[in-house]
Amino acid sequence: MILSVENLVKLYRRRFRQTFRLEASFTVEHPAIVGVMGPNGSGKTTLFELITGSNAPTAGRVLCLGQDVHRVKARERDRLAIHYHQSYQVRRFARRRPDFLLAPANSDYPAVHLFDEPQFNTQDGYIGFMLDFFRRLRDEGRVVFLCLHPTERYHLEILGEVCERFIFVDRGRISLHPNFAALAADAAAAAYLGPST
Amino acid sequence: MFEAAHLHKRFGAHVVLEDVSMRFAAGRLTGIMGPNGAGKTTCFNLLTGRFAPDRGSVRFEGRDITGLPPRRIARLGISRSFQVMNLFDDYSALDNVLVASPELRARGFSMLGGLVEAGRAGDVLAQVGLAGKEDVRAKDLSYGDRRALEIGVALAARPRLLFLDEPTAGLGTEATARIAALIAGLKRSLTIVLIEHDMKFLFGLADHIYVMHWGQVIAQGAPARLRANPWVQRSNLGLLA
Repeated sequence: MILSVENLVKLYRRRFRQTFRLEASFTVEHPAIVGVMGPNGSGKTTLFELITGSNAPTAGRVLCLGQDVHRVKARERDRLAIHYHQSYQVRRFARRRPDFLLAPANSDYPAVHLFDEPQFNTQDGYIGFMLDFFRRLRDEGRVVFLCLHPTERYHLEILGEVCERFIFVDRGRISLHPNFAALAADAAAAAYLGPST
Repeated sequence: MFEAAHLHKRFGAHVVLEDVSMRFAAGRLTGIMGPNGAGKTTCFNLLTGRFAPDRGSVRFEGRDITGLPPRRIARLGISRSFQVMNLFDDYSALDNVLVASPELRARGFSMLGGLVEAGRAGDVLAQVGLAGKEDVRAKDLSYGDRRALEIGVALAARPRLLFLDEPTAGLGTEATARIAALIAGLKRSLTIVLIEHDMKFLFGLADHIYVMHWGQVIAQGAPARLRANPWVQRSNLGLLA
């Protein structure tokens, strides 16, 4: 078992009113490339932050290589799961417990790689190298999450070419799909993806 | 000749280099390319001793040089140029090359020795296409000439291994072609490592290329092999727009 997200809940409140609720429960047993899609504000980045341990869950836990990510020293959590994001996406969170009370990571190189909207530019040819890199990580036994807003036609091509399974996030709830056809058959996902599918 | 193994570097909470391994064979030109922020310059800084890696090792001609200060690495025969130019603006082109020459640095300037060194520095300037511009102050040179002078300054130390950080940054097509020709001419006598953003430039010059992104080597190989990637083909042909 590489990754196990167990009854994870994240609540955001303003005063006593709940403003956002994210719920997730799923496992990734084997190396895979997982596409993650969903409208803005649906909770994709929050889900990634909970998996890497930078953001603390309200309930539930995340096991990476059998280790509870949130009980690992903060600066070693990226040895389990690492979040690749644009600088504007970086959010900082207060720490609850000092590192010396927490466990060291049991890994030297991350087992889970979360790519949050990587820039796929048309002018340069880097796309192919990026996709090969995702495949190499998978072939070396790791799990890759690729979050992408399909704003161009070739974005769907990228997702279809490289991803083996899909997670669709919609208003804080996630649904799992074993392939692109299953994703496109989901009503909410189909509405999000638009008529191009 | 030069080998970096499993380099890892972190700045605070950020991993900037993750498990980077590279080999530079003697007499070859190796390219490092990648989008902005990929970690190319940080990688150079680790290879040339500006920063020490958190993990991993750097070896030059069989010797472990990990963590040695830049001046000691330079003395072993490794020179580098910078993406942002480092020239003495108020000095002539010749003087810029002279101050970088090892003899001058070893024993200071003397009249007699000075003539020999000035002759050598003149040769270096000719090598980078600046013959006849020895007495022009660096700040009065054109941008392309300044780029060439930078390479001249790096060559003055007579390195066996030369690192060039985006030598064509900010140059137009014509000036870029000139720098490409200059580097192609140096290729036979030196081992060169070149950071470059422009794929076409590198595909035409390099023997081997490392593609970096997210602080890691995401692909590597001979230019012909990398160019065969279907997405590279499509971007070259403009089919992705």
